[in-house]
Amino acid sequence: MSLDDLRNKILNIADTTIKHSRDLNIPSTEVFVLEQSTTNLTDNKGKVDSRDGLVQGIGIRVAVGKKLGFASCTGFDEETIKSTLKQAHSIANVSPENPMFNGFVAETKMSKEGILDPDIPHLDADDLIEKCNIMNQEVDLSDRRIISGSFGANIAYQGFAIATTEGCLASSLQTTFGANSYFVVTDAGDRKTAQDFVAARKVESVEGIAPKALNKAISSLGSKAFGGSEVLPTIWEPRESAPFLAFAFFNVFSGSAYVEKSNPWKEKLNEKVAVKELTVIDDGQKPDTEACQSIDAEGTPKQTTAIIEDGVLKTFLFNKMYGDAAGFSTTGNAQRGGIFGGTPYENIPVVGPNQMMIKEVAKNLEEQISEIDKGILITGTPIGLFTANPVTGDFSVTCNDTFLIEKGEKVHPLKSISIAGNYFETLNNIRFIGNDTEQSGWPIDAPSMTFLNHTISD
Amino acid sequence: MENDYVFDLLHKAVDQGHKLGADFVEARYDDLTLTTINYTNEKVRESSTKQRRGIGVMTYVKGSPGYSFTPDITSEAIQETTKRSLGIAKATEPLLTFKHIYDDRSSIKDSIVKKVKIHPKEVEFDEKLDMLKRGIANAKDQVDAQSTTGMWGELWGDKLFVNSEQSEIYWTPLLFDLRIMAVAMTETSQARGSDGVGQSQGMEYFDIEAHSPETLGTNAGKWCKEQIDAVSAPPGKHRALVGPRMAGVLAHESFGHLSETDFVITGMSPISDRVGEQLGTEHATIIDEGITKEGGFFLPYDDQGTKTGKTVLMDKGMLLGYLHDRSTANKMNTEPTGNSRAITFMFPSIPRMKNTYFKPGNISFDEAVEQVGDGLYTAGTSGGQTDLDGTFLFKCSRGYLIENGEITKPIKDAALSGQILEFIQQISGVTNEMDIFTSYFGGCGKGGQYPLPVGLGGPSLVVDEVLVGGE
Repeated sequence: MSLDDLRNKILNIADTTIKHSRDLNIPSTEVFVLEQSTTNLTDNKGKVDSRDGLVQGIGIRVAVGKKLGFASCTGFDEETIKSTLKQAHSIANVSPENPMFNGFVAETKMSKEGILDPDIPHLDADDLIEKCNIMNQEVDLSDRRIISGSFGANIAYQGFAIATTEGCLASSLQTTFGANSYFVVTDAGDRKTAQDFVAARKVESVEGIAPKALNKAISSLGSKAFGGSEVLPTIWEPRESAPFLAFAFFNVFSGSAYVEKSNPWKEKLNEKVAVKELTVIDDGQKPDTEACQSIDAEGTPKQTTAIIEDGVLKTFLFNKMYGDAAGFSTTGNAQRGGIFGGTPYENIPVVGPNQMMIKEVAKNLEEQISEIDKGILITGTPIGLFTANPVTGDFSVTCNDTFLIEKGEKVHPLKSISIAGNYFETLNNIRFIGNDTEQSGWPIDAPSMTFLNHTISD
Repeated sequence: MENDYVFDLLHKAVDQGHKLGADFVEARYDDLTLTTINYTNEKVRESSTKQRRGIGVMTYVKGSPGYSFTPDITSEAIQETTKRSLGIAKATEPLLTFKHIYDDRSSIKDSIVKKVKIHPKEVEFDEKLDMLKRGIANAKDQVDAQSTTGMWGELWGDKLFVNSEQSEIYWTPLLFDLRIMAVAMTETSQARGSDGVGQSQGMEYFDIEAHSPETLGTNAGKWCKEQIDAVSAPPGKHRALVGPRMAGVLAHESFGHLSETDFVITGMSPISDRVGEQLGTEHATIIDEGITKEGGFFLPYDDQGTKTGKTVLMDKGMLLGYLHDRSTANKMNTEPTGNSRAITFMFPSIPRMKNTYFKPGNISFDEAVEQVGDGLYTAGTSGGQTDLDGTFLFKCSRGYLIENGEITKPIKDAALSGQILEFIQQISGVTNEMDIFTSYFGGCGKGGQYPLPVGLGGPSLVVDEVLVGGE
């Protein structure tokens, strides 16, 4: 199926479902139609796992005044869709009013789509095998230090359409390609892991991924204990500063948390929340990112929103309901399935970031390291980031992939350490914001960064 | 859909797979209904129902597996799905060094319907909402809450399975989850309390006072209130009494995943090739079981049609075995353990856990507190994270100081971290209680298949040393 055919198909199903809704005398309906074709393959030392199939489903919200009901079904069977419409209607009828609800999106307006690769719908498992073979052949798996080496590749193309009784009929398409290499290595009782990957909207070269991951894992062997507890600067590689900041931002940028009064920054609009060098953009229109779509998950055109500008909090992120409730406008941040994925048609819209971007300033990672007298370089994602206290900002995480920095140089890798601090203080203790942004695989991309005053212990 | 019609479709997929060159075929059908109610700040934020229905086909060609799926329950779609699964199996065959070969097994014909007095599907929406309202009201009686949340989730339906051995298996998953949460603001922080129950049971479960919405609400409010004046957990290494909830999370997240054979045979698990070794103390016995008398998730069969049983992973500290699917069991010359599971028809089954727990010991809770002497009691957890090398970090959401053999002051959120293989060497006592639970709002997330219902729990564990992060 071509991408144009896919768009026509989902728009037609969405439109037909609204017609069924009218036939059933349902006062107000929003239909979300999704189809995704996906193929994944992983080769782990000759243990091959694969998955290939078609994800299809519909999520239906019905409003009876301010009373809302939601039902979803898999597949596009017409009788099942009608039954799902009736189910959503019956739930709405028995639900109490939601005073914040102010109607579904009423008009068709679209921003620009991201990159679409017309070749992806024509690729299959053989193409993924070729990518895995390229990665496999670039490394020598006979190295006795390698316990495990895996190579994976995936392709998908998908589209979703939104239709509402009030007049919205819009769609967005996506093509994606991904590949990754992951290694577990060991030597003299020390065990380290590392991965590298590419995630793109079009097919890209996988050359260099496997050697980079393997070299990273092997160079982390020979770790020594930190020994004690000390307050030090931490320098984060670009792919690690991104998830670190993501957990700082998820709750404080949330417009739903602002309305529900659980956002600790609810009184901080237009106030300084970080060093003046920090600017954070939520970008729903960067064409090479997965978040770039013509509409969000309830039909609002996606946009680019400055959240923190020069250290000052400028806005929160909203979907339509919470934007209306707060007296702001939606920022095109409706998502279905949450930030950690999920089957979109099975979920009602919630607020979530698009692709957040940290504005680059100066100094790459090596330049930052060279200016640190003593500190810790973070080269792997710590575990426990999501356990940070969303209100106080306190965090305490464990990291297996770090190096000791002394007199501007990497001294040796460290065994597992804990890193503790406070996110809100950290944002005001940024020493460097780098100029070397990398794609992180998280809903935020960042350059390497250096923060002051983290407590390191083992 | 009628079971006979679905079984017929599944058999056709198996037959077609063989005609196209497959050595072995498994076909399965899910028809699951999920219902969610979210009652936040005394307003209904979500009331929804979801239907997940579809068919998945796994074909094997010379030991090479290929999986495909479709939500379209028609003969044509299933034939196409079978063809696609075969295409991917054939394509990946040259890469293979680990071949998925099964032992011969007799055909299984079985039908298992979970029997309950009052099935959740027979209870109206209003009644479920009323349970949340009653829980919230009791929570608010205990604490001046700034916000409250009540959540209801239920999952039930049908699973059908057919394979080349002409097996025909039908069973009925069922679970519910009710949670009450309260949040109060202090001058500098936030106090939270929550309680809930998740089980594969009928609604009569709530008739027991300890499980009633009122009790859950009272606990949530009471535990929220005590957090307002909680003291910070002293950072450093401490003795601890780890309650059933955190013991269960440790058994699942930290140890259980290391014993899954996809990680074991690829060498990724640090307990690969260590069967027979004494890894923990004599108090550390870890079990994974399909149906337990104490509760958790009801799982009579896995998604390869293997009847689940009781798998003792570790007995008195000695590693006895791993969690297998049919092919890893064959490769390692042992029996499959019924651990090949998929969250829905949209995913192939992979080695996953069932109900994983520490076996109870022989001391009472009071004796365990006394044994700790001075340390911490971690009664509740809000989750955590682990690495495949066994490193873990879990948040203790409800905890207390133990001073001079008595539970004294509540502590604020604290992070417990360490390495599971070191942790099980620190267990010096186990209580004689047992609590196993399951979850609708959370579950296992392996392989992007989140949230798969599993059960976890156990008794309370006396631990001689664990690292506490504090705030």
